[in-house]
Amino acid sequence: MKSAPFVMHQARSQSNILDLLDKYGEDARIIAGGQTLVPVLAMRVASPDHLIDINKVEELKKFGVSGGVLQVSAGVRQAELEYWSELHKVQPLLSMMFPWIAHAPIRNRGTVCGSIAHADPSAELVLGLAVLEGSAILISKGKKRIVQAKDFFMGALQTSRQANEFIESVQFPIYGPLTGYGFAEYGYRHGDFAVVAVAVIKEGDRWTIGFGGIDDVVKVYKCNAKSLVEAKQFIDELATETEVREDPTATSGLRRHLMRTLGERACQQAIEFKSDEIR
Amino acid sequence: MKSHQVKLTLNGVEREESCESRTTLLDFIRHDLGLTGTHAGCEHGVCGACTVEVDGQIMRSCLMFACQADGAKVNTVEGLAKSGEMSDLQKAFKKHHALQCGFCTPGFLLSAEDLLKKNPYPTELEVREGLSGNLCRCTGYVGIVEAVLEVAAARVRQSGGEHA
Repeated sequence: MKSAPFVMHQARSQSNILDLLDKYGEDARIIAGGQTLVPVLAMRVASPDHLIDINKVEELKKFGVSGGVLQVSAGVRQAELEYWSELHKVQPLLSMMFPWIAHAPIRNRGTVCGSIAHADPSAELVLGLAVLEGSAILISKGKKRIVQAKDFFMGALQTSRQANEFIESVQFPIYGPLTGYGFAEYGYRHGDFAVVAVAVIKEGDRWTIGFGGIDDVVKVYKCNAKSLVEAKQFIDELATETEVREDPTATSGLRRHLMRTLGERACQQAIEFKSDEIR
Repeated sequence: MKSHQVKLTLNGVEREESCESRTTLLDFIRHDLGLTGTHAGCEHGVCGACTVEVDGQIMRSCLMFACQADGAKVNTVEGLAKSGEMSDLQKAFKKHHALQCGFCTPGFLLSAEDLLKKNPYPTELEVREGLSGNLCRCTGYVGIVEAVLEVAAARVRQSGGEHA
């Protein structure tokens, strides 16, 4: 359980990060919170020759609202956003998700962008970015591109990030004040990755429903439904027809069942949603 | 190769040692700085035995590298007892049999202190939630939760407040 040797580079600025990525590319990994990367290194699933530590890059420690999105830079800890007093008003879905992400000591160090970079299809923030139809801002030397979630997550732990790019920030679009949100998850232990997680956004009769844990990427669907019964009907059909993952932790039958039961619960929440009631 | 010179404040005392890039903060505290109260359990962030406080926030010391803690203020279980006297929380753990083998206890103590700092009036559910990142294989958690609740109530009484 000890990492293979590597060279640690302490980045001091964003341009410093870009220079290092340009030089080492595929042989380097960015380390921010390291809450996923360090176990991966310890188990020697990966053994990069170079790590680029971005924890001391001050310009990456900001988040805020501008142009209708909540923008979160690469150095922002999950707990910083979780304890931001405005979060339940600005981005209620994330407020609902945070208590489900691992445990407090992990959220104290883990970053929002780090979860997105890891791209686990059962991770809450990956589901959040996908269902809110957010984007990742990728920068490399002399280039910047904004990639929508649907074009960013390519598979389980796979993204469209190039070796010389890093996720400078992510953007979560902010929805109107009358939007309803719902979130429900099932895992085997508190804090574990979800077996199935469901996030729902309800704008009048228009529903966006995202499922994590059922496939290699988060699946996002849209439908029109005038009532809970209609929304439930849509989910029932999805759960029957969609290709659903089967692995040693859960059969596809269990996952289909969870899609229906958690889906209904999340839809109910979205109908009854009041942002003041989020803890 | 020990290429990093790491200087940090450990329980209020400035310490400096050299280490490799890949040395975790956990191994650095135990092997290089000699404080073995912080325990190495799973070494991949699941069990919580290695929980320490870094710059005021509790973290898994197995999930960060020592060289990343250069300049930080780190507190471990050794910092809880003052002049050889156990803290109120440590005494409550003893009283309520909140430990058997004691392996997980350093992590629980740090997590519980952090919980009480952020939420001085926790409910039983909030204590369980707050300590959910720490695993204990002996006690079944009942004694641990009782100890934390008792200390919470006692501290509130001491500070003259009313329990919510």
